[in-house]
Amino acid sequence: MGKLALGVYPGLVGSACYDFSLKLAAAAADKGHKVSIWYSGNATGSVKAHQKHLKDYSTAEKYLTALLEKGVEICTCEACTIARGIQKPEGIPGVQWNSMHWYLAAIHSADRVLHIGGE
Amino acid sequence: MGDVKCAFIVQRPQYKGETSRLAMTHALAYQTVEILLEDGETVTPTLCFVGEGVLGLSKGQKAMEMYGITSSESHIKNCLLVDLDVFVCKEDLEKFGIPESTLPDAEDMGAEKQIRVVPFAEIQKAMEEAKHVLFF
Amino acid sequence: MNLGIFVSDYKLCVDTLDRIKADKLGIILVLNGVYHAVLKEDGKVSELLSKTPNLYALSEDLATRGFSPDQVDSRVKVVDYSGLVDVIFNDFEKVAWI
Repeated sequence: MGKLALGVYPGLVGSACYDFSLKLAAAAADKGHKVSIWYSGNATGSVKAHQKHLKDYSTAEKYLTALLEKGVEICTCEACTIARGIQKPEGIPGVQWNSMHWYLAAIHSADRVLHIGGE
Repeated sequence: MGDVKCAFIVQRPQYKGETSRLAMTHALAYQTVEILLEDGETVTPTLCFVGEGVLGLSKGQKAMEMYGITSSESHIKNCLLVDLDVFVCKEDLEKFGIPESTLPDAEDMGAEKQIRVVPFAEIQKAMEEAKHVLFF
Repeated sequence: MNLGIFVSDYKLCVDTLDRIKADKLGIILVLNGVYHAVLKEDGKVSELLSKTPNLYALSEDLATRGFSPDQVDSRVKVVDYSGLVDVIFNDFEKVAWI
């Protein structure tokens, strides 16, 4: 089994790239691969807890919680996140907060990196 | 696993979006990644600007004065200061009519490294030599 | 270089893709990139489809847009997310999202 490092930068609402990354991460984890996800840029807005799923908008919390239960490592860029007004106690439990070197460390051990840059 | 080389390819212009800026700040993080790795393990990004990614690299930027944000020029200079390889595509500079002389250096900060204006073939080589290729 | 490139747009990707050379190039069509696999703009199929024999399109993104696999160009292999994971790990040494 391999290790997949995902870097996700587009925002949860307004870009289907984010939704794509959730499904890919779940599929890879289901096949037994180790998966890590790094959120930076607008994607970091997705780590806030207590999201309400309105059907015209993508939602992340329930999927992130499921990914964490599958053993997927998820980390948000602390600077990007607090710049968007979200403080650590407001975050989804289990999501790590760290600096950009977390992503580089994940890349170091990854067999494949899929970096989904911002738009 | 020793050193892992990565090619960071910036293909979008600076300022309107955030992604091209994040390429530089993520590249700078190579300095501190060792705290999360084993002894002797490193990650080495090569920062490459291609296509419209070559826009917004000129010296004399006043982003802090105009919008209160760190300029791309400042980030580039910091990248040079920490000895990152920074490549700018020669063909794309020529296509947009941007003289090489407008690109910044970081001599005033004591950096020895300089931006290298290179043919795309050299950037292709950086991608080939990298274990991972990331487009910003 | 053995590289699989994710294409998620219909219009915005060709410039970069045109320049990259790879011994084995893959084009993986996802999100709006799947239009390359099904549209005939002005009666012509997308030029992207002639760049490599290694073409994939994501079934979930085709279905989302109202397309069925039988509408996809015969050169393109339709894969689901599970199949896409196999493409990433088994078919290419590097993957990149442009």
